[in-house]
Amino acid sequence: MTAVSNALWRAFGALVVALMLTPLALVVLFSFTDNALTNFPIERFSTRWFRTLFERAEFWKAFGNSLTIAGSVAVISSVVGTLAALALARLGERLANAALVTLCFPVMLPALVIGIALLVFFNKTGVPFSLATVILGHLVITQPFVILIVYARMVGFDYAAVDSARDLGASPWVAFWTVTFPMVSTTVIGAALIAMAISLDDFIITFFTIGGGNTLPTYIWGKVRTYLDPSINAIGTILLALTIASTVLALRLSRYRG
Amino acid sequence: MAADAKRPDGGRTPLVQLRGLTKSFGPVVAVRPLDLDIYAGDFFALLGPSGCGKTTLLRMIGGFTEPSGGTIAIDGVDVTRLGPEKRPTNMVFQGYGLFPHMTVRQNIGYGLRLARVAVAERAGRVERIMDLVRIAELAERRPDALSGGQAQRVALARALVMEPRVLLLDEPLAALDLKLRKQMQEELRRIHRQIGGTFVFVTHDQGEAMGLANRIAVMEAGSCVQEGGPEEIYRQPKTRFVSSFIGEANVLAGERRAGVVTLGAGAGFAEAGADGTVSVVVRPEDVRLDPGADAEIRLDGRLEDVVFLGPYTRYRVVLDSGEEVVVHAGDAAGQAVGERVAVGWRRDRQRLVQGS
Ligand SMILES: Nc1ncnc2c1ncn2[C@@H]1O[C@H](COP(=O)(O)OP(=O)(O)OP(=O)(O)O)[C@@H](O)[C@H]1O
Ligand SMILES: [Mg+2]
Repeated sequence: MTAVSNALWRAFGALVVALMLTPLALVVLFSFTDNALTNFPIERFSTRWFRTLFERAEFWKAFGNSLTIAGSVAVISSVVGTLAALALARLGERLANAALVTLCFPVMLPALVIGIALLVFFNKTGVPFSLATVILGHLVITQPFVILIVYARMVGFDYAAVDSARDLGASPWVAFWTVTFPMVSTTVIGAALIAMAISLDDFIITFFTIGGGNTLPTYIWGKVRTYLDPSINAIGTILLALTIASTVLALRLSRYRG
Repeated sequence: MAADAKRPDGGRTPLVQLRGLTKSFGPVVAVRPLDLDIYAGDFFALLGPSGCGKTTLLRMIGGFTEPSGGTIAIDGVDVTRLGPEKRPTNMVFQGYGLFPHMTVRQNIGYGLRLARVAVAERAGRVERIMDLVRIAELAERRPDALSGGQAQRVALARALVMEPRVLLLDEPLAALDLKLRKQMQEELRRIHRQIGGTFVFVTHDQGEAMGLANRIAVMEAGSCVQEGGPEEIYRQPKTRFVSSFIGEANVLAGERRAGVVTLGAGAGFAEAGADGTVSVVVRPEDVRLDPGADAEIRLDGRLEDVVFLGPYTRYRVVLDSGEEVVVHAGDAAGQAVGERVAVGWRRDRQRLVQGS
């Protein structure tokens, strides 16, 4: 390939990345301005919008809800996902692959469809909407990720180590906590953080299953509909920071390379 | 017999008693109903080709695979239904199964920690066992920083430190290169001598079985076809399979009618037994070229190949029946390839087995 076409490809790549990142960069940029509207020119930088945000009780309520939900989703999906992955790994490759494909259906469905389906489901079964229904809703989409990630770790897992633990006097329970879990723990924690990032970000499923109250994304949505002030950018920045932090941590822990 | 002299029996009860032990995986019968006695102090080999059920048998003794039928008793106690953590056995797995998140010292101390052995005693026992298997300088390493031979020693130490009544080893040397394997064989013999325990190991390498064990059970397709000392198994193989699996053997087809055996290659002799096809098995070192008068069995053929191998020379003779006989002889006899030669052996050097 010639140098020119090489440069063109690079420019194209840079353009794509720029287009994808610009909105995010703008959100962050405007969250730190003094402007009363989200517009140029920027006259002064300040943390004013963060301060106004932090003064509002609804923000803290939504923030708390987001953390409760994301935390619960992370814990539940990693526990259930680890157990499921361990069971799948014992099942043999053929059956396990069939089960994985089935389990991954929710990931392929549009979130809107899942949201509406859950809404109808909880309605018909008479389950009252609450944070619990949101957690259940999020689990539908995070669970497959965790199972996939942990299952991938179990391929090539040294079962002789677990057998050795049993041989040396460990009950199945003790063998799990002293050998199996430490061997897969970084992967499990990584998967939990990814589940957390997905949960923090989700708007659609939350919207359909929360009933009353807000999470950060639905709080933004409410504000957008009433009065668009730059404190929304501040929330966006906070969400972005949380998501990036948990993803980066997850990738580092699961030793993701490229 | 020399190997038999070491054999502890004479009314003593075996340490490990397998009775009618069997295992099926769905339609696959991995181990057919099998009886086996292993005595205290034995260095016992389960020898057989790949897929004959050795690992399955060993795992049943260790408690990792539940038998489909039969019983396992250790020290007179029925352990058939006990989990591995409740058996007086310890196992060295083929892949070693070291704990990657622990140092060598922690790996070795793991079992003692679970058994709540006091810290001081635990440290002492770990030190002593590391000295015994010569890995003291590796104590603080993690398993991923060990060579194959070192990992092997750590796995051995981790099992030995528990002072098991029976130590089980699944193909302990298979992953090592030839030189290391020879070295570890010597080590294993030394360790067995030094601690005087009972070792049961699985191998598909007859040389390894002969070199290490004082008792060998030869397995074929899930059954134990012969059990005995190395010399007994070599000298008196019960089946053609055993004879050809253990060392090199010449096997000649024949037929028995009314107590007279006639070989397809020509010779005949009287030996009582049931009518039908038989095989004569004779070791290459027991066959003579141009045999003297003491050779009761004599056959004619053509010298096909001569290879000088140092301690002996290997002659390949094609008999007039088309069958081949290999001869190992210490002294070069001066025959040239292509010449007609006679081979022969003494009756007491051959084994007659039923079937072909
Ligand atoms: N978990 C299992 N499920 C189904 N079949 C099995 C299982 N384990 C072993 N087998 C079958 O049982 C038979 C004996 O297996 P085993 O592992 O005991 O053989 P082996 O003598 O140890 O062979 P190798 O020398 O290759 O290790 C084989 O046919 C094997 O395919
Ligand atoms: Mg095996």
